[in-house]
Amino acid sequence: MEVRKSVASGQWSVDSAGVPEGGRSPLSTVHSPLTTKIGSLIMRTPVTVASGTFGFGSETADLVDLSKLGAITVKATTSKPRVGNPPTRIVETASGILNAIGLQNGGVENYIAEKLPFLRRHDCPIIVNVPGETPEDFAYVCRLLTDAGGADAIELNISCPNVSHGLDFATDPVQTAKVVEACRKATHLPLIAKLSPNVTDMRPIARAAEDAGADGLSLINTIIGTSIDARKRTFRLANITGGLSGPAVKPIALLHVYRVAQVSGIPIIGMGGITNATDAIEFLLAGATAVATGTINYTNPLAAIEIADGIAAYLTANGFADVSEIVGAVAS
Amino acid sequence: MIQKILAPVVRNEKLAAPGHHVLTFHAPDLARDSRPGHFIAVHAETGQQILRRPFSVYTADPATGNCSILFSVYGPSTSAMAQYVPGDKIDLIGPLGGKVFTADTRPGARHIMVGGGYGVPPLAFLTRQILAADPAATVIFVNGARTRDFLVGTDGLDDIGATLLPATDDGSHGYKGRVTGVLESVVSGQWTVDSEIVRSPAEAPVASSLTTDHSPLTTNPTTIYTCGPTPMMKAVAEMAMAFDVPCQASLEVFMPCGIGICMGCAIPTPDGKYLRGCVEGPVFEAREIVWK
Repeated sequence: MEVRKSVASGQWSVDSAGVPEGGRSPLSTVHSPLTTKIGSLIMRTPVTVASGTFGFGSETADLVDLSKLGAITVKATTSKPRVGNPPTRIVETASGILNAIGLQNGGVENYIAEKLPFLRRHDCPIIVNVPGETPEDFAYVCRLLTDAGGADAIELNISCPNVSHGLDFATDPVQTAKVVEACRKATHLPLIAKLSPNVTDMRPIARAAEDAGADGLSLINTIIGTSIDARKRTFRLANITGGLSGPAVKPIALLHVYRVAQVSGIPIIGMGGITNATDAIEFLLAGATAVATGTINYTNPLAAIEIADGIAAYLTANGFADVSEIVGAVAS
Repeated sequence: MIQKILAPVVRNEKLAAPGHHVLTFHAPDLARDSRPGHFIAVHAETGQQILRRPFSVYTADPATGNCSILFSVYGPSTSAMAQYVPGDKIDLIGPLGGKVFTADTRPGARHIMVGGGYGVPPLAFLTRQILAADPAATVIFVNGARTRDFLVGTDGLDDIGATLLPATDDGSHGYKGRVTGVLESVVSGQWTVDSEIVRSPAEAPVASSLTTDHSPLTTNPTTIYTCGPTPMMKAVAEMAMAFDVPCQASLEVFMPCGIGICMGCAIPTPDGKYLRGCVEGPVFEAREIVWK
């Protein structure tokens, strides 16, 4: 059980939540007003980073103390290496960027051998983002990660807009459930389904993920779009389509989080254009239990840490003892 | 070590070249750690752009703790930077870049810089570094621009021993034509340091075709270092490969993050893969990558 103390008292007490079986608790389990749980995943702050916007942690080692992140969500890791899409892969748009990286990564075995040792030297939970082509493909990666102690939670990327398979799953409740069910059988680790905003209504898909055994939901993935160069009369992205992120998408993401939170019984990690603590607090008020910074990490790799500090200051200034008190607290 | 800092602006000098500035700022750690080819990622408040913009380090003086960049105004970020005055703070991350220029250490090496426009700053930095280490070193600097007015970044390099060979499209200064015209004369040995000038093709055609004779007339080891617009660097790289001369190119690609996390600045390699321009570069050996 958890024992929580107020911010004002300054006393933080031990959270006795157990170490997940077969895994490990990387976190020194001191409870603070910012401590956040997604299933059995314990985060020191409610702020993580969106997959693909923070590499594998080592890239920013000079700048960022990983132990101050709620969790690190690493770049997508697939069953086999992927070379990614040809350039141009990223273009800047009004208050946003369009990306079509194409899941370039070295594969799960490379992740375990080359990336994991660095991450495990830091007191920071690891969420591994896993895309796949079939439910079995997803489950295979989940099993490898679990056996290797390579993750503290797995984010199922059933909604990447930049590859031929991936987007399809999260546009359909049945396909979503198939992936989550297959992975549920493959691992005891918390499963977080990352959902697509490129649908008419995200709520049935969120319910399908929850019913199939997901422990949490990440929303939103990027919004599909394109950009044309009028002077050259060409598409700016080699892939033609890309995923839009950054401040431009925040109102859309916020509404999806609010609506899904009304029907979902599992925690939501809200993301989409968060650049400062106020943005993050808006997502918490809308019903997100945690948040992730994405595009802003490129401009400010310290954003997730600064935002956690800003949330703590907001709680103190407004007399809240624990971040959970503002989750879903927007007046309607 | 990479730092994210707010560096005080020391001065913002407008150059004679229209729209060009040299922005000097105080950043002691950056001044100590920067090497030729390193860059910084600058965030300027524009209200329009959210990503940082990369700029090569132009000067880095550990004695004063000052660094500078040379830039031309072409968009919202550089327009904002053009307005900086002493005392303003420049929001930067740096030094960035996993692989920078490496000076050829072979005895008697000829160092040939080939720069175009805003590509000149890291080559000027490299030239000063080479000549500081060995004042007798042979550094030949081929600098290209549209017109005389746009030849920037090489001020003072002749005073410390570099030989400047400017080329302009309109012939308003130096050789009339592309930098590759000058480069071919230099690499082939038709031009030597003792030659007066490189004449324009009409007066004395330089080696006219790469298909004729690729054997350099000089036996001195040579390395080419280039930075500038991609079409120029592609032509330089192809000429270097034709002459079998090592060529290091600092690529001018859009780098959304500059620190290796976004995978946006993908550089194709001959084996069908992609390298990140920011951390596997920005300096690449010409043969390492696919020139498009």
